[in-house]
Amino acid sequence: MSLPLLLKDELRGFYRSKVMIFLWVGLPLMAVLFQFWSASTQQVFSFTLLSAVLVSSIGGTLASVMLAVSIINEKNRHVYELFLIRPVKRWNLIAAKFFAVYICIAVASFLAIAMGIGTDYLARGGASGTVLKDTLQSVSISMSMMAVSSAAGVLIGVASPSVLVGAILVIYGGNQISAIPMIPTILNVGNASLFTMSSGILISTVLLILAALIFNKKQF
Amino acid sequence: MLDKVSKRYGSLLALDHVSLEVEEGEIFGYIGPNGAGKTTTMKIMVGLLSSFEGDVRIGGFRMPEQRSEVHGMLGYLPQNVAFQEWRTVDHALMTFGRLSGLSEDEAEQRIGEVLSVLGLSDVRGKKIVELSGGMIQKVGLAQALLHGPKLLVLDEPLAGLDPASRYQFKQIIKRLAGDGITIFFSSHILSDVGDVATRIGILNSGQVVSVGTLEEFRSRFSAGSYVEIVLSHDAGRWQSLKSVKGVKDLEQRAPNKFLVQLESQANMDETIDSLIRRLLETGSRIRSVTPLSSSLDEVYLKYVGEGEKA
Repeated sequence: MSLPLLLKDELRGFYRSKVMIFLWVGLPLMAVLFQFWSASTQQVFSFTLLSAVLVSSIGGTLASVMLAVSIINEKNRHVYELFLIRPVKRWNLIAAKFFAVYICIAVASFLAIAMGIGTDYLARGGASGTVLKDTLQSVSISMSMMAVSSAAGVLIGVASPSVLVGAILVIYGGNQISAIPMIPTILNVGNASLFTMSSGILISTVLLILAALIFNKKQF
Repeated sequence: MLDKVSKRYGSLLALDHVSLEVEEGEIFGYIGPNGAGKTTTMKIMVGLLSSFEGDVRIGGFRMPEQRSEVHGMLGYLPQNVAFQEWRTVDHALMTFGRLSGLSEDEAEQRIGEVLSVLGLSDVRGKKIVELSGGMIQKVGLAQALLHGPKLLVLDEPLAGLDPASRYQFKQIIKRLAGDGITIFFSSHILSDVGDVATRIGILNSGQVVSVGTLEEFRSRFSAGSYVEIVLSHDAGRWQSLKSVKGVKDLEQRAPNKFLVQLESQANMDETIDSLIRRLLETGSRIRSVTPLSSSLDEVYLKYVGEGEKA
């Protein structure tokens, strides 16, 4: 009962935040700007794929920093006390935060990737099969990397005592972990999209379970 | 009810076999120096701290095992209450009301009622971070009252408030108690505790050193050991009061105003009779004779010691 309510609440808080406004506008804009850069270089990957990696890297980093900082701040300011004296399951609080941020950046990323696909299609006039394959791969990479980044942000936010420590851990640790779902694509294994999404879901779930266990044991 | 509750933070013993019983409908003031364990006690009561020794029962339910039953009947205002920065008063209260089990319509109605009682109707649509400290404290109290709790646990509700807000807050606390809500609150401002509490518990170094009404404390400690005498005419022989049986010391505070300290074993009524007789004999005219009892500050310092005053 409390998870949908908390999720709606968190979405309301996040979608209007300054970071999210930057992502709503900034990511699609970056996708367009990237076209000019890629036009002057020799393309190895498709533009859509590069857009996805760029977007998920920036979006994922911002999302994980935002989640970690938000959780650490709220923990330190004792914001959660008012929730925890009510019949609310503790894991609902962090799950709501994760999904709210993830939904927001996912929408921003879809917008950015859509720009990339459109640009790719116009520039290359590629066959629809190639575009679709690229698109699926791009979306799976982007979504998986951002899910892992966000889950890492939640875990670091729950475990870290200070904003500074949290931010450092997210930037150096979270980013490394979020690159794991890229491995099947880099190695060019068959059905890379499926492997990418599976590894993204698995790693995110493990990180979120760890975060929930730590949060459940925390004494406020 | 807390029975032999102990809580450790590493090697620090924050609470040491604390036992307290709070009666239904009373305003229980909980005082003690910084670090005495007041907030720890309250956090255990409301279920925020679950690892402790001893037995805690609220309304017959055991904490933390039956916390969901307890949470339905309990409102809590933490020290330095904080809300997420993007929340408006209305939105925060709606969320907390819904999480406490109210339907959207019920929450809407209760928000209106509670804000009206607390004088916050005008700021309903404002962001909480834009409000003054006193207002935020009231919003904190509002969230604690939304679901109609039977017990209110207030941690330092008067800290940081200006005198007008403190007065208002104390009136609200009294009104809530009048409506049958049991109130357990801590405060550093001893005069405020004396003003509203029907019973007081003093905590020092993690131990409850005494519990009683203010009157009981006063009678335990030097009650009536001072008598203030105001004369309308001073015949100039007030020094002779020193020789009255039961008088320990005598001090002139102002022209025509004297403070008489009685010996600890002196009978208050007999000594006052003797003082009045002596003054009349010496030709003075008396305006008033007032036995002075100990203030809560004096009582507190006797239990907790000088230099520990919060």
